[in-house]
Parts: sequence; structure tokens; C-alpha cells
Amino acid sequence: MVVNATQRLLETSTLISQGAEAKIYKGQLHPSATLKNSSLKDDPDAIPVLFKYRFHKQYRHPTLDTSLTKARVQGEARAILRCLRAGVKVPGIRMVDAPEGVLGIEWIDGKSVRFLLGGGAEGEEEIEEVDDAVADEDEDSEQEDFLRDYGVTPDQVMKLIGTEIAKMHKADVVHGDLTTSNMMLRHPLKAGGSAEMVLIDFGLAYVSTLVEDKAVDLYVLERAFSSTHPSSESLFAGVLNAYAIKMGKDWKAISNRLDEVRLRGRKRSMLG
Amino acid sequence: MPGKIRKRSPLKVPEQPYIALGLEGSANKLGAGIIKHSPDGSTTVMSNVRHTYITPPGEGFLPRDTAQHHREWILTVINDALSKAGISLHDVHCICYTKGPGMGAPLTSVALVARTLSLLYSKPLVGVNHCVGHIEMGRQITGAKNPVVLYVSGGNTQVIAYSQQCYRIFGETLDIAVGNCLDRFARVINLSNDPSPGYNIEQEAKKGKRLLTLPYTTKGMDVSLSGILTSVETYTTDKRFRPQGSSEGEENADIITPQDLCFSLQETVFAMLVEITERAMAHIGSKEVLIVGGVGCNERLQQMMSIMAKERGGQVFATDDRFCIDNGIMIAQAGLLSYRMGFGTPLSKSTCTQRFRTDEVHVAWRA
Repeated sequence: MVVNATQRLLETSTLISQGAEAKIYKGQLHPSATLKNSSLKDDPDAIPVLFKYRFHKQYRHPTLDTSLTKARVQGEARAILRCLRAGVKVPGIRMVDAPEGVLGIEWIDGKSVRFLLGGGAEGEEEIEEVDDAVADEDEDSEQEDFLRDYGVTPDQVMKLIGTEIAKMHKADVVHGDLTTSNMMLRHPLKAGGSAEMVLIDFGLAYVSTLVEDKAVDLYVLERAFSSTHPSSESLFAGVLNAYAIKMGKDWKAISNRLDEVRLRGRKRSMLG
Repeated sequence: MPGKIRKRSPLKVPEQPYIALGLEGSANKLGAGIIKHSPDGSTTVMSNVRHTYITPPGEGFLPRDTAQHHREWILTVINDALSKAGISLHDVHCICYTKGPGMGAPLTSVALVARTLSLLYSKPLVGVNHCVGHIEMGRQITGAKNPVVLYVSGGNTQVIAYSQQCYRIFGETLDIAVGNCLDRFARVINLSNDPSPGYNIEQEAKKGKRLLTLPYTTKGMDVSLSGILTSVETYTTDKRFRPQGSSEGEENADIITPQDLCFSLQETVFAMLVEITERAMAHIGSKEVLIVGGVGCNERLQQMMSIMAKERGGQVFATDDRFCIDNGIMIAQAGLLSYRMGFGTPLSKSTCTQRFRTDEVHVAWRA
């Protein structure tokens, strides 16, 4: 089997995690150069790159899979470029190989907003009838420590989220999958500095000028907030506030449409 | 994330056996089931009887006629369930009925019977959310602990995960349900409604070879299916379409058969469903998937889902047609769980509603 350059690049990288549709690797664009020149190997300047590999999905029909993968890698690269041009904080593009399904982007040192807000059902387990109740872990204070390390408060994070989304929407990019997992806080380089919010995962992004699409984008985020962070629903108001300020006169139309979109969805109670 | 948080289940081990009768009739299936929760923690399905209203090919079921069917059959179905379980209604602790969601007329005709029985035998009533019934029965049968649930049926398409005493909807259809999409296409190509249109589509799809291009519309964790239905319907007016399938000497010709359309429809729609489920799994970090609802007994969907789960190092739980397709036992199961938590529906509140979202139910019996 012929192994092409992209596959070799993945082989030299380390698998970090498996997301919804791609495997995430951490590696370097020129690993061979680093390996040959051993003095460079531990060079702190050897800049890491994140590879997003959309591997072949066995469950999907091969024809469907190939065309989807190619379209998504291309789409993601285009959306990121468009954001970069508009000054939205997104990772820079390092390489694209659409037929192979590989996208190389800038490595961001930080944590996802979802992690910092402590959301999700992860690691929770249910057992029947235990004699003593297990003491609740003091989760909140732990999350606060993380946020302090990043030099931000939850309210500031919400403001950052709203502002970045507004910048993105002003560039007519619709993210398509806004969740708190798809937002990262870049760790401040020096102590005392404050973190920067970076939008990631543009796998479902597309370009649109329609108010409808932008409103649905916000609605997706709202739903993600209420499902992953059930106790912090009020925080979402902070996101919308910052968004409204940044959007200026365009906000009115989007706000009205957002109210309409909220009423959609099936089996909703039609009272009030 | 801090280490695993173990939570205590609020459900007490029963000090005596509990028996519940469940009545279901939210769509064209009429079901009665009897379930028993024993003090040793085990759950027994004592009986599970169903009668389906089947319409001629090319026709769907209308609320009025479906309600008529339910009225005609419900006493037979309940008597069957009781005799199979070998008990009388005096032994039952509570009578559970579907409060919603579903079609109005069939729901009310079944609820009327539930109310009457409750008054005749002075048994408490428990109104149950149909979707929660599916989830609880699926969990009970498969033993899945905390799965991401894909609930796919004729009226519902939802990706659900449990969090803080509520089944939260992560993704759902923005327009029509997946079963509705398949059933309506079965009607277009005149497939039989016996045993179910979805089953016949599955059989036809096995003979299809050609994958035709259809829209692929996932939006975050939501899907949209109405455009796909229109698109696949349009192929039946294409001049390459052969309603009778391929004839002699045409095997390699550029033609479209109903089998190809069924195949393409299934492949596209199921790929979308598996994708949104995978997205939800990645989002909340779960490794278990449970498929419930009528479309859940489609083996191709189960197969695709298990490939996806394997790729992620996870596991799929699915049930067969006895528990996937609407049935009375799931209503009994969910109803009995809430009854054991002290929940009951007073007669004056024993209404039905066509709109009753999964996330409106307070899941008191889980930690």
C-alpha cells in the first residue's frame, strides 16, 4: 500500500482525542526536519500543529462518505479563512488535504469553555441503594480556580463568546454547531493576563447573509447551554447582550427571528 | 472533570411486589401490558399484547378511524393481557395510560377506558409521557445505565440524554419525523402497510444497489427530513424511474428502481441520524447508545449505529419489535416507576395532550 505524505504526517503525530466526526492529532508540519536535526528536537520553538483527520466512517455508504468528507474539509478551511480575514479569533490554517480528509490548524493551548463551566453528564454514574449518601464534591470552587487561572470571570467569558459570534456573523459566516465544547479559552501567556476566546470546529460552517441562519445559529447555542449547563441558563443572557452590542443595528432583526425560532420544534406546548 | 461522581438512586427497593397495567394508543398501535416489580429488584413482563390498525397500501391512518379501531379492540386487548398474566384487575396497583404526545382522538379513547377502569376498581391513575415510556422500557430491557438515547418513530425523532432528573433533548427533527418520512415514501411507491411500511421499506432497500444523491441536512445536532422526502419523491417522476423494478436486459442500464430509492433513502437518513447521535455522544462524553421507537427495529439502522459505536469504543443497545414498536408494557414500566415515587394523576387532571415534550417530565426516579 502506498502511504502518502499526509498519512505519514499523521503517523508521526500523537492522537489526542476523537471528536464527533474526526480524530484529533498533535504533531508538527515538518517532523522529519526536527528528527534529523536532533538539536531541534527539544526546541521549544518547534511549533505544534493540530491535525483534524476525518477518517472514513464505516457506517456510511462509501460514496456518500467520500463526498461528505471532501466537502466538509473544504468548507471548514474556507470558513476559517473568511473568519481570519474578518478578524474573528479562530485558529490559523496550516495545511489542507481535502481528499484525504485532513486539515492542519494552529495548536491552541487552553481549555474548552464547557470544561471551564463544568458542564455535562460526563462521569456520572447511578447506583441503587447505597447506605450512606456520597458527599457532593465541591465542584464549583474547583471551576472557579480554573477560571482564575485564565484571568476571567464567567460573565467575562459570556461577553467574549457573544462578541466573537457577532464578529463571525458580521462576516456572514454561520458556524452551524455552536456549543460550549466548540469554544476555547487560550491560556494567557503571562500570569495576570486574561484569556482570549477562540472559536473552533467549523466543520458545519457555511456562508450566509440570511437573518434566519444567524438566528438558528444562536438558537443552537442556546439549546446547547441549557442542555449542558442546566444551572447556568441565565449566563446565556450575557452572551446575547454582548452579541447585541457588537451587532448594532442588525440585532433587531436577528432578535425578532430568534424569538420565532424558539417557538419551533415539535410537540411544544402552545400555551402562552 | 473531577473523578466519577456516584449518585444514589432515589428509587427505594419495593417492600412488596408492585403490578401495573399500562394502556397505550397514541398512534395506530393499541397495546396493553402488565409489569411486575418484585422486592428482589427484578422486573417481570407478565404480558404484552398489541393490536395494530393496518390501512390499505397508499393510505395512512386517520385519527377518527384509528380511534374507532381502538374503541373496538381495547376490551379484547386488555382481557388478553390479563389472562396471559393470569391476574385480575383487583391485583393491579395502578393503571397507567399515555397522556401524550400522540394523535388526539386515539389518545382520548384509550384514556377514557383507563379512567373507567380506575373508577370501577378504585385504582390510582398514572399519566405517562409516551417518549419517557420508550426510554424507560429500553433501559429496563437492555440494562443500559446512562445511555444517549436515539428515539426514532413515526411521530418523533430525538436525541436525548439524561441530566439532573430530566431527559434533555439534544437534537431533534426540525420538521417531520423519520418514521413519517419513510411511511410517506412507502405510500408513494405503494408498499403494503402490513406489518408496517417501515419494515417493507427495509426489505426493499436490501435489493437496492444504486445510491442516488439526496440532500444531507444535519444542522448541529438537529436534522431536517422534509426536503429529503420531496427529493426522493421527485425521483419517481424521473424518466429513468421504473415502478416495476428492472426488467430483463436492463441490469446495467441507467435506470432507477423503487428498491434503489428505498436504499438511498435509508442510507442517507440513517447516516444523518447516526451522525447526530455521535455528535451528542462526543458532546456529553457518553459511550452507550440506546435506540428506541418503531424505526429502532430497523436492522440497518442498528447495524450502522453499532459500527459507529465500535469506532468510538462504545456499545449499542437496541430492542426488538416487541418493545421498540409502541406497546402497553412501556407505559406500565414508566408509570410504575413514577407511582413508586408517589406520583399519581387525579381523575380531574387525567387529560390527554397532543403536545407533551420529553423534557417536560420530572424524572423523579433517577438520581
